[in-house]
Amino acid sequence: MRVFGWITTAGAVLAASSWLAPDLSAQPQQSQQPQAQQPQQRGYGTRSGEPPRGPRGGIPSGTPAPAVGNGGEPAFFSPGPPHVPGGPVKRGPDGHPDIQGFWNAANDGGAVFEIQNHPTARPGIPPGRGAIVDPRDGYLPYMNWAAAKAKSNYEHDLAAEPELHCYQSGIPKQMYDQFGFQVLQPPGYVVMTWEFMHAYRIIPTDGRPHIADDIKLFEGDSVGRWQGDTLVVDTTNLNGRTWLDTVGNFHSDAEHVIERFTPVDSNTIKYEANVEDDKVFVRPWKIAMDFYRNTEPNYEQMEYACIEGNQDIQHYTKDKGGAADVKLK
Amino acid sequence: MRKQFWKTIPAVTALAVAALALEPVRAQSPATYKAPRTPGGHADLQGIWQVRNTAPALDLERGSAVIVEPPGGKIPYLPKALARRKKNFENRATDDPLKKCYMPGVPRITYLDFPFQIFQTPNYTLIAYQYIHIYRTIFTNGSQHIDGLDFWNGDSRGHWEGDTLVVDVSDFNAETWLDASGNYHSGALHVVERYTRTGPDTLEYEATLTDPKVYKQPWTLRLTLYRHTEPNFRLLEYECQTDSDEQAKAAGKP
Repeated sequence: MRVFGWITTAGAVLAASSWLAPDLSAQPQQSQQPQAQQPQQRGYGTRSGEPPRGPRGGIPSGTPAPAVGNGGEPAFFSPGPPHVPGGPVKRGPDGHPDIQGFWNAANDGGAVFEIQNHPTARPGIPPGRGAIVDPRDGYLPYMNWAAAKAKSNYEHDLAAEPELHCYQSGIPKQMYDQFGFQVLQPPGYVVMTWEFMHAYRIIPTDGRPHIADDIKLFEGDSVGRWQGDTLVVDTTNLNGRTWLDTVGNFHSDAEHVIERFTPVDSNTIKYEANVEDDKVFVRPWKIAMDFYRNTEPNYEQMEYACIEGNQDIQHYTKDKGGAADVKLK
Repeated sequence: MRKQFWKTIPAVTALAVAALALEPVRAQSPATYKAPRTPGGHADLQGIWQVRNTAPALDLERGSAVIVEPPGGKIPYLPKALARRKKNFENRATDDPLKKCYMPGVPRITYLDFPFQIFQTPNYTLIAYQYIHIYRTIFTNGSQHIDGLDFWNGDSRGHWEGDTLVVDVSDFNAETWLDASGNYHSGALHVVERYTRTGPDTLEYEATLTDPKVYKQPWTLRLTLYRHTEPNFRLLEYECQTDSDEQAKAAGKP
């Protein structure tokens, strides 16, 4: 028997009742879903033997993936449609750049797999330079204890990857998740929505302060302002429960991120994120990448169900042929 | 134990207590209230909204008085659909999809006791819900429903009838419920929602549900949503997660 507290925003326990643990094997058959029906295949590191799905508008489903690593594990990432050079940056009624539309992180350094330099292929992970531009060697400036923890995460705790459990991605990881995102600019805000994990970011641009320090969130608290044509987003209140990539690179709840979105033409945004976290890193570090506009006519994001049928965790555990010890948190 | 993210609660509590201290805003007649306009000339529905009547989330039929059609306040189930309704009620402690952290579907998401925020641009109305970070993109660009797919929260296409945003929601799966007591629908559900500003801080919400596999006739619920007016009020996060032993079970481990 367990206790479930139904927490309302009034802060009251409206109803607390005992309930039996749901028998997961008895879950109803998932109905026809574009993505939820599948085991949570995110297109990379897939070990189920089935071809990964491409997002609509991306590489078609079933496109052969390059085999890498000793095990010939498929690595797959859809960068979205090809980049189409754009015209002049559009402007909204307020004179600021209008960056509304659908975007994909170019991810040409493979940051979606690993944020830092990773010159050697590993199972499921092709080599790449990651996205770190400072320090110049492309490696995270970990404190010694933190470097050991990151290594341990990769070697023993991959099953603890937060996204594997359908948690939101955190910042900056959210920005280079695959399947892309949509930007809306209603008055006073820049709002971003992702197909992946149905995450969203609401970024007010009205000069409001951050929320109180003791509130910690997966996606943090973001406030934005325009500096010339650059959208500068300051994010605090992050909870330290997210990773920076799929291989165990991490941060703490002291993380503070300043992102800069600079549209250089109507189809290209230069993106930078400066990350400070004095509990984990010896110095600030910075990533950079491009976002490309998805110019496919009538493109729409679909619903991405995750926890509603998540079997991805099975792909990671030794008893199912994966590499990770079962060590769930 | 189900992990709720307690750290979000103190601040939300403070804000919500502040909200409760206010006198309920008296809704004006839709006929006399003229909503502010968006730059595109439509009624401006933007803001952070929430129900104050928490009864419908528990049971639409009992004690909530939100079913306005048919008269009598009951869902007009087909006789053959009542057995499933009864079974759902009996097993609600385990079978309610929300107990498994599944998406709640439409209209249930609207009257869960959590705030949500409406944004409007010319082609889209976006509703971002605090509850498990769901969002709905309501297309108001004349596009049509998608054929051949179904969704937990349906496929939403909107248009304006005067100052009312009318949202046609179709392509549902059959996995969601309408409340915590087991009222339900099939995959044939079709919902028409109507969002109408009735005052500076009130939004009337109406949903008409048609499902010939489960209901004898269409039926309608109506309730009032209240705008959060606390300075700098914002959506936080309400995450839902089954716990680690359930995950271990899912991974084939005891």
